[in-house]
Amino acid sequence: MKLSEGKKGVPYTIKSVNGNEEMNTFLFSLGCFEEEEILIVKKMRSNFIINIKDGRYGIDKQLASVIEVI
Amino acid sequence: MKIALAGNPNSGKTTLYNAITGKQEHVGNWAGVTVDKKQARLKENFGKNVSVVDLPGAYSIRPFTSEESITRDFVKNEAPDVIINVVDGTNLNRSLFFTTQLLELGIPLIVALNKSDLAKAKTEINIGKLEDELKCKVVPTIALKGKGLKELIDNAIEVSNNKKQENVFSELSKYNNIEKQDKARFKIVNKIASNVEMKKVKSTDETLEDKVDKFVTNPIIGIGLFVLIMSFIFDLSINTLGAYIADFLVGIIEGFQGSLAEMMTNAGVSDFLNSLLTDGIIGGFGAVMGFLPLIMVLMFGLALIEDSGFMARIAMIFDPLFKKIGLSGKSIVPMIVGYGCGIPGIMASRTIKDEKQRRMTALLTPFVPCGAKVPIIALFTAAFFPNHGYLFALTYLVAFAVIILVGLLIKAITGADDVNNYFIVELPEYRIPSVKRAFMKMLETGKEFIMKAGTIIVACNTIVFIMASFSFRFTLVGDAVENSILANVASPFAILLIPVGIGVWQLAAAAITGFIAKEEVVGTLAVVYSMGAAINEDFELTNSLLLKENMGITAVAALAFMYFNLFTPPCFAAIGAMKAELKSSTWLRRGVMLQFGVGYTVAMIVYQVGTLIAYGRLGDGFMASVVILTAISIYLMKLINAGKKEKSLVLASEVA
Repeated sequence: MKLSEGKKGVPYTIKSVNGNEEMNTFLFSLGCFEEEEILIVKKMRSNFIINIKDGRYGIDKQLASVIEVI
Repeated sequence: MKIALAGNPNSGKTTLYNAITGKQEHVGNWAGVTVDKKQARLKENFGKNVSVVDLPGAYSIRPFTSEESITRDFVKNEAPDVIINVVDGTNLNRSLFFTTQLLELGIPLIVALNKSDLAKAKTEINIGKLEDELKCKVVPTIALKGKGLKELIDNAIEVSNNKKQENVFSELSKYNNIEKQDKARFKIVNKIASNVEMKKVKSTDETLEDKVDKFVTNPIIGIGLFVLIMSFIFDLSINTLGAYIADFLVGIIEGFQGSLAEMMTNAGVSDFLNSLLTDGIIGGFGAVMGFLPLIMVLMFGLALIEDSGFMARIAMIFDPLFKKIGLSGKSIVPMIVGYGCGIPGIMASRTIKDEKQRRMTALLTPFVPCGAKVPIIALFTAAFFPNHGYLFALTYLVAFAVIILVGLLIKAITGADDVNNYFIVELPEYRIPSVKRAFMKMLETGKEFIMKAGTIIVACNTIVFIMASFSFRFTLVGDAVENSILANVASPFAILLIPVGIGVWQLAAAAITGFIAKEEVVGTLAVVYSMGAAINEDFELTNSLLLKENMGITAVAALAFMYFNLFTPPCFAAIGAMKAELKSSTWLRRGVMLQFGVGYTVAMIVYQVGTLIAYGRLGDGFMASVVILTAISIYLMKLINAGKKEKSLVLASEVA
């Protein structure tokens, strides 16, 4: 499912990242790519706070919806 | 010898750089404060004949935004003798990805394990093991407190003698596909991190910061908090602390001015020379200097916010709103920096990846009234609306409204859409802002301001004074100033400003000199009207009555003049920064035209509508303003329609 449909506080494993190439590469350098863990810390109407490795990031819903997780 | 500082954004490179070079470069607690490389000499007590280069932060050697490519180009092309890789100890795993890439370059490398105090609370890093894994020296540091820096530099100098850095990751070179190589790299990094790190707190656990963020990142609470903090800073700067110091300062300057004038009169110095020195040079300088405390207090407050970690949250909160006008949430950062000075503000737009959003940010940031425009706002609100202190803060809200409206307009014209514009911002840990750092930043701003006032402003004032004193035949004009060179040069421009209610040559001259530096608007007014100007603690302008009388314009026209100066293009230096960021002379031309159009239109509407409401009569040049407004509206409608057509053509071609 898409990360944007995920629940807060549940650790997910990334299945695929399907943004544009540049964004995928950037997310990769943060450690956001398949088989890595990702967690939603806070869910808002148009924003999410997520945890990747040891960092917290604010992302928009658009980006959350291109990250496939299981 | 040359040392390069490289590492992830917000790992503390510039803080380290400032500590070892004694510089006062812009630091802040968010990713992407440094957008250009900086170079300086190492402090003597650290080492002799060593230059240090601070590079913009990057997550990877393969750049994402333009400032990240500066880092790559520098380390690859300029061959520093040693790289200090600043690693954020609180996010070791992510940081080491870049470290392994740097190690492959073969340049001697040393790791500064920074924020080691923050890291200790969360994790335990085995330094010896990490050195073994990376085959390079690792020194724990706390750049903020200056800890570990001597050891770091000593080691860096020693390491630089090694001609080549050992590369323990040579196995990665067998991959010829970068994607596969980077995946393998992260596997190695994950292994190293788990070998050397003993986590005390799981990074997925809810922290105190998460609890704070629950409130702060709520759009209503977040924006409310932001407005509250900014209002507090403005109040402190303009109504209380800043105004109080300003009053004191102006007292000294005016005292000096008076006694010097008296001394020269007694010594029999010619009236012209006396007046040039006291009214022209010292008076003009003093008028501008009087606003220095206001700006310093403003910068102090801004530095505290920048240090706290709030900026990244603000960017996140503003993202949904800003997307609607073709900007990114990150555009708020250049705008907040732009409160201080437009130039670093415009440059900060570099961290925005999307070209359209970046361009929009660079074009709209100058609409934020910068520190140099503070004197204009303070002078006019205080002189013409002495009992309405809130007008100062209100001006900033008007500026924000102008940004939103112009943003919507550009979006309608260019058809900028938000498809594929993803937003991501790193949320750094909150920090109690350092009063000391904010104080240093404030002093630095003060120093720059005094230098500017002492050079450019004094030079301008002198020229303005001479131009206002002589006719084209180089005879003194005396009281018949309308015959002066300045009056003759500025009068044609004044005609153009009649529909704005400010068709007076003195005001036109002030607006023109404002392009050299915005402080000079007040400087020129002070010279041509021979008055000192500063506000006292009761928010009253000293000599305000004199100013009002001398200007002979209505309060509404004064407001229009203020908006004209706030929203027409910024000073030449800031236009230069716009040129550098827009990278296109076409866009620069469009941008400057747009800013002229906006400044003129806003001021004209304020004057004409205001005059009608406040005085129940038509303003000067009313018919001309109707014609101009109609022409602008028709032109904009044409542009918007052309934009729509282009958009539908693009869509049609995409469908086909």
